[in-house]
Amino acid sequence: MHNDFDPYEPELGGFEDVPEADDEPVAKTGTTTVGIATDDGVVIATDKRASLGGRFVSNKNVQKVEQIHPTAALTLVGSVGGAQSFIRSLRVESNLYEARRGESMSIHALATLAGNFARGGPFIAINPILGGVDEEGSHVYSIDPAGGVMKDDYTVTGSGMQLAHGALEGEYSEDLSIEEAKTLAARAVNAATERDTGSGNGIYVAEVTDEGVEIEDYDDVTELL
Amino acid sequence: MQGNHEQQAYDRGITIFSPDGRLYQVEYAREAVKRGSASVGVRTPEGVVLAADRRARSPLMEEESIEKIHGVDDHIALASAGHVADARKLIDFARRRAQVENLRYDESIGVETLTKAVTDHIQEYTQTGGARPFGVALLVGGVENGEPRLFETDPSGTPYEWQATAVGGGRDDIQSYLEDNYEDDLSLEDGIGLALEALAEASDDGLTASGVEMTAVPVDTEQVRPVEEETLAEHIEDRDLGGEDDA
Repeated sequence: MHNDFDPYEPELGGFEDVPEADDEPVAKTGTTTVGIATDDGVVIATDKRASLGGRFVSNKNVQKVEQIHPTAALTLVGSVGGAQSFIRSLRVESNLYEARRGESMSIHALATLAGNFARGGPFIAINPILGGVDEEGSHVYSIDPAGGVMKDDYTVTGSGMQLAHGALEGEYSEDLSIEEAKTLAARAVNAATERDTGSGNGIYVAEVTDEGVEIEDYDDVTELL
Repeated sequence: MQGNHEQQAYDRGITIFSPDGRLYQVEYAREAVKRGSASVGVRTPEGVVLAADRRARSPLMEEESIEKIHGVDDHIALASAGHVADARKLIDFARRRAQVENLRYDESIGVETLTKAVTDHIQEYTQTGGARPFGVALLVGGVENGEPRLFETDPSGTPYEWQATAVGGGRDDIQSYLEDNYEDDLSLEDGIGLALEALAEASDDGLTASGVEMTAVPVDTEQVRPVEEETLAEHIEDRDLGGEDDA
């Protein structure tokens, strides 16, 4: 029963007690991650670069969007270690929930839980996007390190967020098809790739529909434009 | 004698199986449930009804102080039979667990999820040294996502789902009455009537409106709502469940 009454911690695993570690010069994603909700599903796009302080490219092939639920995906933004641990915890919680109750968590519940973990855990340096589909439709949330959970039609996080937002603004409309959303997300990641030193080296795109999550990657963003 | 002492250990130790695989303390706890007055639950497509016999043993006792049905959350209520004090501990556990769901997921807890959390808690007291099982059975009724649900918990920690059932004294009589008279297209009002009729089966000298506690959770509001005493009085009179009226 131990953690059953603590909503700010995962039931299994718990939180490692080393928040200071994220302040050290560890691998950060820098990153541009984009989430767009459409009637048919959610598109999430990210670049592929990991860097040290945005000044040295420490990895050129990072998958920064991961499935965490049958119909939801989360991006890795900020400290790579923090984001990976965050994803593992949410995936385990989602699996347990589904095994126990015979139905998967709603995206609102998943976003609430993610916000609680961000608030209660050592994740001082993450800023992911959660995108998912449930009975209520398509949802995109941004989650900040203090546990702030904000729902939107489209959202961007990471070091390239201003550039990507510039590309999205005025281009988003409610009746986008999933293919159009994919192209728009790629244009936003491309804009950041061109000018943000923390973003680049290609693109990962996740398509989340009520059927599931499909993730593919391209070495050149322009393949999707 | 030492030998005799060891032979009977399974009779007293909660964590010890008898040679034929029984847990006597759990079975004794079920006996404690039978000593309590009955609670009845009826599920209809329009909602769930919980009813309990709370007649006072003395005319000097305030019937209001005998609480057998408790709201757990806006959309779930719970009726008990057996040890009232044990029931109160489980009710507080259920209330806390229901609110944890709001904190953790910002969602209302499902009836099945809540019931299983409570039964898992009950089970711990059948396997822990030095503990005693809960001498109480509960009916957990409510609405989740527009669907009425009714569950029973027993002292072993097993959950059961029902269309209509009873816990406590006279359960067998009530259950056979429900089996003969339950229909799956009852209105909520019919459900209230059926619950009263069933409760009357276990009562020697008829029902009184103040001696019955009843709560409904209708599907349309998904809100726990106590059934008014006047409504109970009407049903008792219409169905002639008052027995020999000595009022």
